[in-house]
Amino acid sequence: MLEVMDVDVCYGEFQVLHQVSVTVKTGELVVLLGPNGHGKSTLLKTICGMMSPAAGRIKFDGEAIDRLPANKIVEMGLTYIAEDRHLFPYMSVLKNLKLGGFNKNAHAKEEKNLAWVLNLFPRLNERLNQYASTLSGGEARMLALARGLMSNARFMAIDEPSLGLSPNLRMDVFNIIKEINDRGITLLLVEQCVPEVVEIADRFYLMEEGLITFEGDSKSIMKNTDIKEAFLGM
Amino acid sequence: MLRELLDVLISGITIGSVYAMMAIGMALIYGVTKVFNFAYGSFYTMGGYLAFVFFGFNLGYLPVLALVVPALFLAGMGTEKFIVRPLRKHDNWEMAAVMITLGLALFLDNLYQVIFGSYVKSLPSLFTGNLNIGTVVFSVQDVAIFIVAISIMFLFMIFLGRTRTGMAVEAVAQDTVGAEIVGIPKDMVFGFVFGVSAVLVGMGGILLAPKYYVSPFGGWNILVKAWVITALGGMGSIRGSLYAAFILGIVEAFVGWQFGYTWTLFAWFAVLLITLIIRPQGLLGTWG
Repeated sequence: MLEVMDVDVCYGEFQVLHQVSVTVKTGELVVLLGPNGHGKSTLLKTICGMMSPAAGRIKFDGEAIDRLPANKIVEMGLTYIAEDRHLFPYMSVLKNLKLGGFNKNAHAKEEKNLAWVLNLFPRLNERLNQYASTLSGGEARMLALARGLMSNARFMAIDEPSLGLSPNLRMDVFNIIKEINDRGITLLLVEQCVPEVVEIADRFYLMEEGLITFEGDSKSIMKNTDIKEAFLGM
Repeated sequence: MLRELLDVLISGITIGSVYAMMAIGMALIYGVTKVFNFAYGSFYTMGGYLAFVFFGFNLGYLPVLALVVPALFLAGMGTEKFIVRPLRKHDNWEMAAVMITLGLALFLDNLYQVIFGSYVKSLPSLFTGNLNIGTVVFSVQDVAIFIVAISIMFLFMIFLGRTRTGMAVEAVAQDTVGAEIVGIPKDMVFGFVFGVSAVLVGMGGILLAPKYYVSPFGGWNILVKAWVITALGGMGSIRGSLYAAFILGIVEAFVGWQFGYTWTLFAWFAVLLITLIIRPQGLLGTWG
């Protein structure tokens, strides 16, 4: 479904990603591991059209998307959820959710998607008329995820969904992510040091210094003690 | 004395309504695109000169506006698309945008001087005559200016609050990256905002022309005033600009009456300074 082929990305003169290739098949839940500041978020931003690669190709459903603006990519069904959330602070939770369904394909299904999302996140249902800026960290993260789900996406690239959450909340978030995946939405997650992901992920990539240094399924990662200790915190 | 005071107040509210309309355009550009548009005043002048040209064909006010409004919109949108947008790719583009819009302002103002000469031009009066309500005398023209400015503002506010495009504009203002994430075409929003703000300030140029005439460099005064209003209201806050414009319009009228209009900006800066000392973020420092 998603093919990233030999992608180089630079910030000005500084090259961040080197010949990165990542593939995600339809229905999979793939996790991208790696230390902070080694290019994981840059890869997600490049996939969703907020940065352009200096070289290489990115295809979604067989179509090249590496030169498309972000809004066209959202329309195609690929939604990105940023680590730093980027909610609309002075809008109500409800308006944030409605804006999540801004693209023309999601617009017609707004009510159906809203009902589903609020069922998934009952906490948000209680806070519908509050400004997004008044939410707690955990709630804001839920809203970012919920807003993304409103877009009618078939593929979601989620940057560190569990960052800064308590272990209990983290478990909730991973259960919800599993549920999203079970509904047929293909997922690419960026995570680090979160043992829970082993239970839900189909495959893993490891990124270090802008290079993919490991690729494999849950079994093969469990055999690799170095990775287990350093990047999964197990 | 009381009659005079009332006249001054009315004149202040009239001019305040036009300032409000123009300041909203400024707040909109800054709030949404984060560009400090130095060419803003030149679009004020552009409105006046475009109207002057079309009046030359013996058209009435409505046909002239029907031609000038889309022309202004396109000019504003073109400025964003061809002059500002290419800069956004680079670091430190905000400074570059200031320099390039300053260049555009100088270019346009000198162009006006080459085409129209340095003498002021006047536009026909919208209405003549007076309206007597009790002992108070209103000039019909002032009333018309007030009604037109207020209507344009209200239409625009309703548009922002009620339509999908309006929602997109607000989203970009609050978080541009967030807007991109939900699939809002941010470049289109930027272009739209520049277009609308050119219409808002250009309409101001037309509404004020019967009182203040059109001159090649007349936009600078408006640029400074729009800045003071947006700073007083709180950068990027539309509602704040609205209040600030009326306050400063009334200040202008009173200062003009008591000390002469040369002291207007002096008084404005005094009000701005005192307010910013007490409230550094302006009256309403966030999107409202």
